[in-house]
Amino acid sequence: MNDPYRTIGVSRNADEDEIKRTYRKLVKKYHPDRYQNSSLANEATEKMKEINRAYDAIMKEKHEQATYIRDDYVYDKRSEDSKDENTYEDGEVSVYQQVRLLIKKFAFTEAENILGKIPPTERLAEWYYLMGLISYNRGRLEDANNYIETAYSMDSSNAEYYSTYTSIKNQRSGTGKHTSGYGCGDCCGFCGC
Amino acid sequence: MFGYLQVNRDELKIKDYRLYKSVYCGLCKQMGKDYGIGARMTLSYDCTVLALLYMSLNSESCTVVRKRCIVNPLKKCEFCNCEGEALRFAGAVSVIMSYNKIEDTIKDSKAWKKLAARAVKMFFGRNYRKAARAYPKAAALTERMMRKQTAAENDRSDIDTAAEPTAGLISELCTMLYPKGYNTHVAGIFGYYVGRWIYLMDAADDLEKDIKSGAFNPFKAHYNGNMNETMRYCNEVLNMTAAQITMAYDLLDVGSYKSILDNIIYDGIPERQRNCLFDKHNKRTAEARENGSI
Repeated sequence: MNDPYRTIGVSRNADEDEIKRTYRKLVKKYHPDRYQNSSLANEATEKMKEINRAYDAIMKEKHEQATYIRDDYVYDKRSEDSKDENTYEDGEVSVYQQVRLLIKKFAFTEAENILGKIPPTERLAEWYYLMGLISYNRGRLEDANNYIETAYSMDSSNAEYYSTYTSIKNQRSGTGKHTSGYGCGDCCGFCGC
Repeated sequence: MFGYLQVNRDELKIKDYRLYKSVYCGLCKQMGKDYGIGARMTLSYDCTVLALLYMSLNSESCTVVRKRCIVNPLKKCEFCNCEGEALRFAGAVSVIMSYNKIEDTIKDSKAWKKLAARAVKMFFGRNYRKAARAYPKAAALTERMMRKQTAAENDRSDIDTAAEPTAGLISELCTMLYPKGYNTHVAGIFGYYVGRWIYLMDAADDLEKDIKSGAFNPFKAHYNGNMNETMRYCNEVLNMTAAQITMAYDLLDVGSYKSILDNIIYDGIPERQRNCLFDKHNKRTAEARENGSI
């Protein structure tokens, strides 16, 4: 295993407060929410696990006892264990569920082909949402933005669409944390500034 | 490449700035050694970033020596001296890209300019063949990208499609930074968005010029007569791309030169966007207004 102090990025004689502060920053940086729907999600989860292991090791060493509990403020352990959301009940699997499975497996062309077969008149908000996810993963960011916008405008009560829509708007405004980019001052209404 | 990827000097520590400059000068020197003095003219900041990334991902160690600058012999500079491939690779990429860009200029321009570009091309021909021999994959990828770019621009493509050739090329080049057998998924994605960002920065920067000349520009379809508004739209597109760059960058195993690379990604990118999309444009409008009133 790598040196846990290097993984967290603190010196050996850093005090507990500093270690906690740095750890919290890292958790925000590699949080699953930031990598939601991204093809880098797996790598981010791995990185998070590595950071958690390092943090545990350091804290254990600092306390010299095994009975320490990780500060659970920041990171929901749930998302660490790869959960399978796609365990459907027996019976019919809808087209959209099928497409979601394919997206998870990075089979974008196949997913797109299935969606393409749905005639324009029968396309629900979910159709646009899934097309948005496919475009996002392919790096076609403007297409992704348009599809997600359409999905959200068709069904603005859907929490999933809203969350993706907000995260994209945050990226575009350039004012969110860990986004880089340039915020031009015309506030977006999402970033809370 | 176009030199959009740069450090933000104001935010950089002096020691990091010196190191960054030494890599720039070291790369210039290496190119002089490999291809002769003419090739130095193709040196760009983007290729300096490529060299830095190469050194960082491969933990190549460097020594810095103080010597006289060849371009300006009155000045003494610090040169980074690198044992590994980094400078050689970045230099070759610079020569390959410039040569292909000249070819593009020949296609686009008329009469005298065409003739001048032809002369430059002949001048660089030998350098290009040498670089292509050393890195055949990089040369083949660049040539393919140029063909795709021409096709995409003839098709009057949308933003995503127009940016794809450059994005794809930088993506491939970034995966080449790793030794064989290494997982290059993150580097590939990082490169894709860096390429996309560079292409779109160039497009946004040229928009005003392209509207006047009638040349292809992917942002033209979004121009509604108000340049400020259009630039804000371009900024949004670039911001979203920059967000993807940082997501991938944070997952790269950046070793040495981390503070410089962090500066380029987190401070250099927004600074360039502000400078190219807003400051330059505002300055031009202010000048136009002044000239008009006199």
